[in-house]
Amino acid sequence: MSFSPGHIKGAIVTMRANRWRSLLTMFGIIVGVASVIVIIGISQGVKRDITNQVNSYSKNVITVSSRAASVSSFGFSTVPAVSTLTNQDVKALAHLKGIRASVPLYLLSGVATGDRSYPSGVVIATNQNLPLVLNQSLAYGAFFNDQNSNGFSAVLGNNAARALFKGSIPLGYSFTWGGQQFVVDGVLNKFNVTPFSNNTIYNDAIFIPDIVASQFNHGSSSVFQILVKAKSSAQLPSLAKQISLTLLRTHSGQHNFSVLLPSQIASNSTGILGLLTELTIGIAVISLFVGGVGIMNVMLVSVTERMHEIGIRKAVGASNRQILMQFLIESTTVSVAGGLIGIILALLVDVGLRDTTNLSPVISWQVVLISALISIMIGIVFGSVPAFRASKKEPIDALRND
Amino acid sequence: MALINLEDVSKLYGFGDATTLALDEVSLSINKGEFVAIMGPSGCGKSTLLNIMGLLDRPTHGSYKLSNRLVERLSPSRAAKLRRDTIGFIFQSYNLLPRLTVLENVALPLAYKGYSLTRRLELASSMLERVGMQNREYFYPSQLSGGQIQCAAIARALVNDPTIIIADEPTGNLDSNGSRLVMELLSEIHKMGNTVIFVTHNPELTRYATRVVYMHDGLVVQDETSDLGQVAKTARRNLYSVPRKSVEDDLAGVSLLMKVMPEDDKKDELAEEKPKSKRRKRGTTIRRRS
Ligand SMILES: Nc1ncnc2c1ncn2[C@@H]1O[C@H](COP(=O)(O)OP(=O)(O)OP(=O)(O)O)[C@@H](O)[C@H]1O
Ligand SMILES: [Mg+2]
Repeated sequence: MSFSPGHIKGAIVTMRANRWRSLLTMFGIIVGVASVIVIIGISQGVKRDITNQVNSYSKNVITVSSRAASVSSFGFSTVPAVSTLTNQDVKALAHLKGIRASVPLYLLSGVATGDRSYPSGVVIATNQNLPLVLNQSLAYGAFFNDQNSNGFSAVLGNNAARALFKGSIPLGYSFTWGGQQFVVDGVLNKFNVTPFSNNTIYNDAIFIPDIVASQFNHGSSSVFQILVKAKSSAQLPSLAKQISLTLLRTHSGQHNFSVLLPSQIASNSTGILGLLTELTIGIAVISLFVGGVGIMNVMLVSVTERMHEIGIRKAVGASNRQILMQFLIESTTVSVAGGLIGIILALLVDVGLRDTTNLSPVISWQVVLISALISIMIGIVFGSVPAFRASKKEPIDALRND
Repeated sequence: MALINLEDVSKLYGFGDATTLALDEVSLSINKGEFVAIMGPSGCGKSTLLNIMGLLDRPTHGSYKLSNRLVERLSPSRAAKLRRDTIGFIFQSYNLLPRLTVLENVALPLAYKGYSLTRRLELASSMLERVGMQNREYFYPSQLSGGQIQCAAIARALVNDPTIIIADEPTGNLDSNGSRLVMELLSEIHKMGNTVIFVTHNPELTRYATRVVYMHDGLVVQDETSDLGQVAKTARRNLYSVPRKSVEDDLAGVSLLMKVMPEDDKKDELAEEKPKSKRRKRGTTIRRRS
């Protein structure tokens, strides 16, 4: 019954009459709604990608890191100075039961120089099991193995290959590192990269055999990570427990290492993402609040401006409730219009992001629906004070007020 | 049976030293079918009285019975319902909402009654036809002359079939032609059995009324029946019309009595005292219409 006097049409008429004012009023809502949808979309997209990658590259892989290493998941350019993992650990883990393969990753310092020097590259010493453990194939050539390795051979990450050499397929090319010449045996396929994931480092890496590396560092190179692949996913938990017990023994009871299951790797990465998402959503909520206050302000002005109209409406029989509804519907129309524009804007930004970046945001209808509901709520909540003010005005006072 | 019955109604504005006694224990009863003119000098409480009768305002003291029902302390929603169902208002100016068309303006009271949109527009349209405005339905108020606006306002006041029409200086902004148009309309409404109460400063307009109430300083000082078509006796004596006197008049020594006294029955002298230029402007708009 309260809707009958054509309030929605009236609200649209009023909005049209004050096009610019309405648009500016909506601005906060537009920005708030659009950023909430975009941010949640990005974060869900990245989360999905990370999960996919963990499933493809880290399937059944237990990641053993030095305690400090888990902190460095913020980005791999920062590498722990001292690792608590040792060669001894690598050997101990290689002989556990239920293991398909295990791979140590030693981080080595020094700049490699091929056709060009590559200061941002990372040199990783590892063994022939790496492609198997990471479930990654080679683009060209073959991975070195203990049998055929004549020592100074190397396999390049996809970015590293391009950074070091001018040619497109650098098989058989050589580069120098640590005063030694290495020959390129193979180039890995590109790892799909997502923010905050392990894979970033592999594309930039130069892999050399660990046997060679141990000669350089006189057998005391530090182990960055040990990747242990289980035979099946069912064995993962028990294997992880076994690894922990073994390492506790070799570390004489000190728990200065971490043993992470694939699911934990994912949550580790998505945890930081979640934090950033929450921060941004917090800002978006502030924007929505500011937008709401803007609506309240404009509605208060509008009520004052239209006091005479309120008086006339009351004189011809509008009840307080009907006036209240009129102004509530007006403020809600403004906020909902803002919300809709925000949703459309978010969809446009989504398309833009897909085109120009490697992000693929996931926009779910639930988020869109919730945004729409939130904008309705903002209209009602922030419109209620002006609407009450309008409705409570005595008809004669409203009429006298020009 | 009195339709409106006011007993010792007082209205005070403000408080402390700034208190104004706008109505001083006014008692008045108006029967169904009367056409009442209320006259009196500016500030004597005419509008205050109308607003109380129209349930736009409440008396400070006294009792008000509308159709035998005490209404002076009604809740806002009950007062709104009574206004919606039984009272039609016409004000001196700014009657129509500028953003609505004439048709939508006239349909407004019906919206609050809960009528469907089609029914609303249908009724409003037929009401506009009755006031001779059917060809102005989709005009906006800014596109109308003063007289046309008042006609639309009358249509709106009538659209919910009220028992009482209350008009506060409905011709206050109009020239003689416009005034006549509006008064003829009100007169027609009266003839159909409605009760009409209006305020005017123009003694000439009392010829439409069946009763004239004179006020002064918040008191009803005289209350006389008047024959239709005749200017009321007291009004003819010009006791209470106090038009604004211009500086030029003062300099020329023109007496107010001379200015206002109607000269026999010349119809063109119906106009209220208004600045000449304004009157001419209004006149042209009206003439162009007809
Ligand atoms: N809201 C108000 N606050 C204070 N005083 C008021 C208010 N409204 C009216 N008054 C006073 O009450 C008295 C009667 O006012 P009212 O408007 O009823 O006069 P009126 O007879 O309609 O005059 P006019 O012919 O000029 O319209 C005046 O003295 C006026 O100053
Ligand atoms: Mg008045």
